[in-house]
Amino acid sequence: MPVFRNPTVSGVARKVRAFFGLEAGVTRGALPEPTSADGHSAGVVAPENMIWIFGTGRTGSTWLAAMMEEPEGHDVWFEPRVGTIFDPQRFQRHGGKHFILASQYKDVWLRSIRNFILDGANARFPELAGGYLAVKEPGGSVGAGLIMEALPESRMVLLIRDPRDVVASWLDATRKGGWQTRRRGEGGLRAESLADTKPNAFVRRHADAYLKHVGSARRAYEAHEGRKVVVRYEDLRTDTLGTMKRMYGELDVPIEEARLAEAVEKHSWENIPEEEKGQGMFYRKATPEAWREDLTRRQVKTVERITAPLLEEFYPKRPTEKQG
Amino acid sequence: MIRDAWRKVRGRGMLEETGGMRPENLVWVFGTARTGSSWLSAIMGEVGGYSRWHEPLVGHLFGNLYYERAGHRSEDAHFILGARYRELWLGTIRRFVLDSAAARFPGIAAKGRGYLIIKEPQGSMGAPLLMEALPESRMILLVRDPRDVVASNLDAHKGGTWTADLMRKGGKEKPPSLAESRPDAFVKGQARRYVRDVGNAKKAYDAHGGFKVLVRYEDLRADTLQTMKRIYSELEMPVEGADLARSVEKHSWEKIPSEQKGEGKFHRKAKPGGWREDLTARQAEIVEGVAGSLLRELYPVRSTA
Repeated sequence: MPVFRNPTVSGVARKVRAFFGLEAGVTRGALPEPTSADGHSAGVVAPENMIWIFGTGRTGSTWLAAMMEEPEGHDVWFEPRVGTIFDPQRFQRHGGKHFILASQYKDVWLRSIRNFILDGANARFPELAGGYLAVKEPGGSVGAGLIMEALPESRMVLLIRDPRDVVASWLDATRKGGWQTRRRGEGGLRAESLADTKPNAFVRRHADAYLKHVGSARRAYEAHEGRKVVVRYEDLRTDTLGTMKRMYGELDVPIEEARLAEAVEKHSWENIPEEEKGQGMFYRKATPEAWREDLTRRQVKTVERITAPLLEEFYPKRPTEKQG
Repeated sequence: MIRDAWRKVRGRGMLEETGGMRPENLVWVFGTARTGSSWLSAIMGEVGGYSRWHEPLVGHLFGNLYYERAGHRSEDAHFILGARYRELWLGTIRRFVLDSAAARFPGIAAKGRGYLIIKEPQGSMGAPLLMEALPESRMILLVRDPRDVVASNLDAHKGGTWTADLMRKGGKEKPPSLAESRPDAFVKGQARRYVRDVGNAKKAYDAHGGFKVLVRYEDLRADTLQTMKRIYSELEMPVEGADLARSVEKHSWEKIPSEQKGEGKFHRKAKPGGWREDLTARQAEIVEGVAGSLLRELYPVRSTA
């Protein structure tokens, strides 16, 4: 049997408690069914204490997650990529009843997705009893809709950033010598990038990716009935502590202000060593609207055209820009 | 005492996790598209006591992330399919499949007997994960000469063929295909896909400790009934000879109406070695170059090498 071959002590204790009927399980919403009867996913991580961070890469999710990891009783699950598995767009053509995610059997597979996530969380964070688990999942935002549907009690952060800055950041990261290119090279992956050979095509592709990822996360946010908040990277940069307080307030997560201030200070841009910042580095500029210097006019127009619905919603043009 | 209680808990969980569906009653058909899996599964699904699950794509669901999108993260403990938690997530995949199967085929689940044929050629990328998660299941590795597979796909993806009809039924127009604009590039892509799918299915087959059988499409065409009998025998599954013969007859190539067969149709040629007429010499070389290793392993005699 592949399951539980090496159970942890706490895991065994949970099963034994469940077996003797000593554990009542966790109260949950209407959907989906709680857990398998062996208490497998009724573990230490309560779904209502999970805070999902969706959006896309280069929106400051690493920074946000680092701050969220600091307070006592809080932890971060760093990019599980579970959302990538459950990307409904990948299977658009397969809508028949035989498809594993067929709508006719949604209650069954939503429960499976729920257990899949909770099992993974419980195994990785056995010490988190009663605490909060932030799940940094920008790269899995395509599956945000199904994840939030499977875990309706969970909280959600929609983290966004001006798509022009996001694309500019990727362009820098993926050029020759950029941090992403270096990482790919170490992994034996193709180091040459469109960013160097066909930058305009690269920009188009990443604008498409932005629309896909943030668009999915946006739809999940709209549908989610639990606690949720939109956080703009630009607001985080302007007033980090104020934005963090607002975020926790809207998520209804109690947080000690002094500890939060410490976390904000510890992870501030100013505290990152100078040699770790700059062009080609993971920490690049952190300057909102730097796209004005980084992208060509044509590239800006490409991003604006592709991401128009999101850009207009979250970054409406100022009157002077409209006139221009 | 704890050890004893643990065993009981685990045992209880096992019964409930399956929703009544027994993993040993699942028969997976892996390979790749255009290997005759629709034909094979139709024959098997027709026989009494057998049902067919037509392309759940669960192998693609998990295999895509594990092998393609994030394979480089397998040692990362945070990765949902990371190596450190392999047993845990294999268990979850197991329940995912069994719960879904039980919901769709409650008759088999309730009786605890009967077999479910799972036609999953396009999910073959994830075959190693599925067979590791369900070691009691049975497995058919269905293969076909990669040159014929690629030739069949080349025909299928041209304009106005059955794949376009299929998309139209789903409310979409088939976009222009490389099969027409750059056929050699298309051939290369399809050969790579063959290696990915059949390669992973073969890995799963080699590692699988349960009942399994390797079936060549060419043998099915040459002597369908005998090949089918061998399948049931090697998988140790019961079958009524007369039932099987009827099903073989019903689904024979000759019974398919002529107007449903031919170029651009789902039922095209069913002719082993047809690639010699369908592919250019350059295209055949491309396939042999990309899929040469599997070709030599699966077709040692027929290789052009």
